[in-house]
Amino acid sequence: MSSKKLSGKTIYLIVWISLLAIILAAIFIVGLPSGEKAETIKEVMRDGVLHEDNKISLFGLLVNPALISAYIVSAALIIGAVIIRIFVIPHFKTVPGKFQLILEELVSFFSGMAKTNSPHKTPVVGTYIFGAGCYIFFSTIFELLGIQAVTTKGHSIALPAPIADINGAIAMGITSYAFILIAGAVCNGAKGVLGVLKDFSLPISMSFRLFGALLSGLLVTELVYYYVSLSFVLPVFVGVMFTLLHAAIQTYVLTTLVSIFYGEAVEPNPKKIKEKKA
Amino acid sequence: MPLNIDFTQVLLHMLNFVILAGALGFLLFKPITKFMADRQKHFEDLAKENEEAAKTNADMKAEYEQKLEEAKAEIADMHRNAEKEAAETAKEYIDSAHQKANAIIAAAETEAEKRKESILDSAQAEISELVLSATQKLLSDTVTPERNSALYDEFIRRTDKTVADERKSR
Repeated sequence: MSSKKLSGKTIYLIVWISLLAIILAAIFIVGLPSGEKAETIKEVMRDGVLHEDNKISLFGLLVNPALISAYIVSAALIIGAVIIRIFVIPHFKTVPGKFQLILEELVSFFSGMAKTNSPHKTPVVGTYIFGAGCYIFFSTIFELLGIQAVTTKGHSIALPAPIADINGAIAMGITSYAFILIAGAVCNGAKGVLGVLKDFSLPISMSFRLFGALLSGLLVTELVYYYVSLSFVLPVFVGVMFTLLHAAIQTYVLTTLVSIFYGEAVEPNPKKIKEKKA
Repeated sequence: MPLNIDFTQVLLHMLNFVILAGALGFLLFKPITKFMADRQKHFEDLAKENEEAAKTNADMKAEYEQKLEEAKAEIADMHRNAEKEAAETAKEYIDSAHQKANAIIAAAETEAEKRKESILDSAQAEISELVLSATQKLLSDTVTPERNSALYDEFIRRTDKTVADERKSR
């Protein structure tokens, strides 16, 4: 008789709270499974920074898991781009739909940034920062998927963000620096090259800025996921704070820096402009 | 290497990124940028066409307004001329009508006079005959031929006097 008086919502709430209480009690009764972990927290965090132990075999070459992440992200992005190029772009309308609007906004964002920071030779840097921005953003988001891979030691690990690996971050820094250097050489010759070489610390700052930002998020995430007691609710905030925000912020920072330094490198020589005017 | 930096992996990352950046630029950035630029150009062309059309319309409007003003002035001139002509024509008609009326009246008066004279003449003759016959009837027995002749002269004289007086009174 009394169950008839209770509404469906109340019953659902009681069952949900009961199950939650039982599971939590069971967890604390059983205790934290720290003894069963393959690695200690110290080892996990050290490996998160250095990737010394957990290697993955790539056609016989032992590489860090981040390289596999980079390839997966790149493959996914390229396949997605091919699909969009074949099936979406030819059907673009003058008045855009939702998906077309997202694509146009994305392109406009990087194109606008390139125009603002580098008024000269804009399309080249626009193309580059579009690629870099997509790569940094989606590869950082990739971490949230938690795709598992097996290391050479037989451990299962979640694939990290490619730029959380020092090699990935250095690659981004050097590539961006090389891009600016080559653009300066093509547009302004030796003077352009010297102007870029003057900022020799640029690749290092770019690399370690990316690495530091992504690594901080990685370490906090590793720490949170290591302990079962921290794995309720908290990962949602951690995931948002250290993954989504980092993805957006680091994308913005690197692309802005590249476009600014590129703008300086390709800026026409003032003397040449005066001579042309004369 | 410190920090486990591996230049082979760095190069592999670079290769991966360069391919990705090139592919994304080729597959997405350029086509979308081109589409947006074409669309912008399309709308700029439309805006330019609209601007030109608006300018042409404004010019045409000004031209039409000018023509309208000219036409209004022309119509006003024509109106004034027509009124003037109408007034002149009306005056001519009225004058002509007056002349005709006067002529008709004059002719009518002349005709009336003639008729009156004719009537008076015939009336005079008839009255004379009536008086004569009546007098002859009354006096046939008593009146001598001398008296008859005197009466007859007296009647003639009076009749002439009466006609002369009537003519004078007119």
